[in-house]
Parts: sequence; C-alpha cells; structure tokens
Amino acid sequence: MRVLDEISFEVNRGEFVAVIGPSGCGKSTLLQMATGLLIPTRGAVRHRGQKVTSINTKVGFVPQQAQLFPWKTLGQNVELPLLLRGVAAAERSARVSTALELVGLKGFERHYPSQLSGGMQKRGSIARTMIYRPDIVLMDEPFGALDAQTRMVMQSDLQKLSLEVGATVVFVTHDITEAVLLADHVVVLSQRPSKLLANVRINLRRPRNMFEPVRNPGFDAAYNAVWTEFRSQLDAGQVH
Amino acid sequence: MSELAYDTSSRDVVSHRQRLGSQPIDLLRPLLKLLPGIILLLFWQWASGRLIREIYVSKPSAVAQRLYELFSSGEIYPHLWTTGQELVVGYVIGVAGGVISGYALGRSPRLARIFEPYVMAFYGVPKIALAPLFIIWFGIGMASKVALAAIMVFFLVFYNVFAGVRSVDRELINLMLVMGASQRQLTYHVFLPAAAPFVMLGMRLAIPYSVIGVIVGEFTSSTQGLGLFIHEASSTYDPAGVFAGIVILLAFVTIANFFAGRLERRLLRWRSLSGAGPIDI
Repeated sequence: MRVLDEISFEVNRGEFVAVIGPSGCGKSTLLQMATGLLIPTRGAVRHRGQKVTSINTKVGFVPQQAQLFPWKTLGQNVELPLLLRGVAAAERSARVSTALELVGLKGFERHYPSQLSGGMQKRGSIARTMIYRPDIVLMDEPFGALDAQTRMVMQSDLQKLSLEVGATVVFVTHDITEAVLLADHVVVLSQRPSKLLANVRINLRRPRNMFEPVRNPGFDAAYNAVWTEFRSQLDAGQVH
Repeated sequence: MSELAYDTSSRDVVSHRQRLGSQPIDLLRPLLKLLPGIILLLFWQWASGRLIREIYVSKPSAVAQRLYELFSSGEIYPHLWTTGQELVVGYVIGVAGGVISGYALGRSPRLARIFEPYVMAFYGVPKIALAPLFIIWFGIGMASKVALAAIMVFFLVFYNVFAGVRSVDRELINLMLVMGASQRQLTYHVFLPAAAPFVMLGMRLAIPYSVIGVIVGEFTSSTQGLGLFIHEASSTYDPAGVFAGIVILLAFVTIANFFAGRLERRLLRWRSLSGAGPIDI
C-alpha cells in the first residue's frame, strides 16, 4: 500500500520542524524511515547528504509512550545509550547528571519509572535521547498522552531545552497550536496517500509563550496560514 | 495454581498497605492463618478411632511418632537422599531446557512457526501416562524419575518464557536499535529482564510438578525413594507411614517455594516497588 507520496522537505541544523497531518496519514511511517527502521520502496532519506540504508544511530527517537525500561532506574535508563555506545563510566555518570538536571529530574536517579508521574517519565525519555547528542531528535507525538497542564509545561520546557542545546528536531503532532508554537517550519501532510501540502515558515519571536498562545505577536496569522492548508482536507471531506 | 502464584507475590504490597493501618491485625494474621490447620489436625485426632477406623486414616500423633522414628533410626535418609537428588536434577534440567528453548523460540519467529505446533501437541500429552515407558527407556534407577520430573517442569517453564520473550514491545526494540544496541546488548538489556518475571513464575509453578513427576516415577517402579516408601507403607496397611511420607514432601515443597519467593523478590525488585501485580498467563 502506498502511504507516502511525493513528500520532500529538508531539515537544517538547529531547526525545529513540526509535521502535522490528519490521523493515519503516515506521519509515524515518515519518522520510521528517518531512523532507517523502514526503507522507502522508492525515493530516499538523506542524512548529511548520505542516503540512509540501515538503522541510523546518529538520530534520536522519542516515542509516543515514554518507553522507559521498568527494570532499570531512571539513572540507568538515561545512561543506557552511552553504555551501548561504550562511553567510559566516569563520563557516563557526569553526563547522566547533566542530562537529568537539564530536564528537571535531578534527585530522581534511583527511582524506578513506575514511581514517576507520566510527565516525569516523558522527561526521562527525552533525557535518554538527548544524552547521546543525536544529530536530529525525532519525536512522535510525544505529548499526545499527557494531560493539558502537563502538556503545556512540557512544551515550554522542550522549547527551552532545544534552544539551550541547539537541537535539531522533527516533531510529529496532530495539534496545530502545538506545531505553530514549537516550530520554525510546519510541514502539512494530506490524507493517504499522503502528499506534502505545504511547508509553512513560522516567524514568531522566541522564546514563545506556550501557556497563552494568543499573547505571541503574530500567532493568529501563523495559525491561519497553517489552518488554511489543513482545512482543505476537511473541505474535501476526507478527514475522519 | 495461579491463585497460589498471585498470593505469594502480592504479599509485599498488602503488608505495605497494612502497615499504615492497625497494628494488632499484623500480629493476629499469622495466627489466623494457622487456625484452619490446627482445627483440621484437632478434628483428625479426635475423629480417628471415633468416626473413622484408625487403620484407614491414622492420626496426627501417630504420624508425628512415626516421623520421629524414621528420622531417629535413620531409616528415611536413603529414601530422602534419592528423591532429593532426583528432584533437584530433574528440576534443573527441566528449567534449563525450558528457558533455553522458550527463549530461542521466542526470539525467532521462524523457529516458532515450525516448532510451536509440536510443542503444543506434546504439551497436551498427560506426562504421567509416560511413566511406565520412561521406566522401560531409562531403567528403574534415578534416570527415569529425573526424566519424568524434567519433562513436567520443561513445558511449564517453556511456555512462560516463550510468552515472556514474545511480549516484549516491538517499539522498545526499535528504540534500542536506534540507540545503537547490538543483538547481544538487546538480549542482555531487554529480552532477559523482560522474560525474568515469566521465568520466575514458571519456576515457581514447576516446583510441585517436579515432585509429582518424581513420586509417580517411584510409585511405578523403583528401588529407593520417598515414593517407594509411601507405596510400601500403603501396601502394608501403614497409614501413619503414608502420611509421614506426605508430610516430608509437603515440607520439601514449602521450603522450595520459600526460596523461590525470596529469589523472585530479589530479582524483581523493580516490580514489588511499583506495586504492580504479577503477570499471570
């Protein structure tokens, strides 16, 4: 089955790109291709000009669920990518404490994931990805399962974090407000077989106010620019 | 079987909750637990000779007396030694085989597709019915009992481990691969810990089954062992001897269960902390 068709966009270093589209349009498939877990039948994914043909360990992936290992403490979870990559023990523990401090989880190293709240688990999941400094962080609706308040806080913290470390992020979501608030570019996809509808540049000043979207000067215009593209899908009656 | 499993591993959680509440209940609970057993023993003692003839059911005091004799005279030790060896060796072989093959089939969908129907079919065979055949194949010595115990343990452990390995979330594996994990690291960091609760459950469920295997084997044909001892006692109208043998087996299972529980709590500390219930298949 053809899921993705004629989609082409670039992500530059240090950029935050949001991908939105109706549910089932293949956003997750797109990310899987970016990690090299799926190889496209036609076309290619390029990373630093190199075609991705096998699992790309230079990228980081933050899944929908936190997916921390329940049998490892938070510290061990965050440390894991470094352990897998053969980083020396002294450097590992230093980087773990930095990473945990960065996501506001200092002092929870010895807690098991089941002892942490949903938001804290999510922070742990993000720390685990950030710790090995991947070239690109791919996020698949990471805040979809969180409650509204936690979600706003997480959005705000993600903005701060990505500005601080200068991360390159591809952020999949189905929430237009979230996409507009977080991203430098919003890529809008259509229904399956999914095509690229638009690549909207968002020129809002940073840092942006995540708690009161309309307080950001120019938010309305940016939201409308994305919404106009998105609405065409509703008009066609294809959105479920 | 599963109720037994549930009870032992959820005890931690319950006691935590109870600690917050009333203290006296904590002290009363062990007593409350012993009460039905004590009542049963008293009733047995009283009814024997009054309601039922003693030659049929013996009585607790006679059983205790018999146990004392068996141990003080040393008569029971060769039987204990033989049965103990058969149990331990059979159990270890069964668990090892179950873990290895359950793990292999769980990891490889191709192997699983080929072998699962066969294992399923053999699982359905009543292993007890194989006892006479096993005696023919392995002789009346220890080997046949070891084989019987091993095969009963094997299937229980096999299915638990197989299910455990297969239950690992595909996304977790993908995540590990992107983080840079090799196959060996996947095994060590994901599959083994994920399968551990299932291995423990299988091991615990398998304890009584290994006893059944060994005792049935000894009943069928043997030269030494607790099964033989019980068999001989019952065929010489010695109910006290039968019950003495059963008490010894009971003690064995209880001790083994205790150690399995200890091991489980140690290995699965992360689960008792979370208060999550055990996974029953």
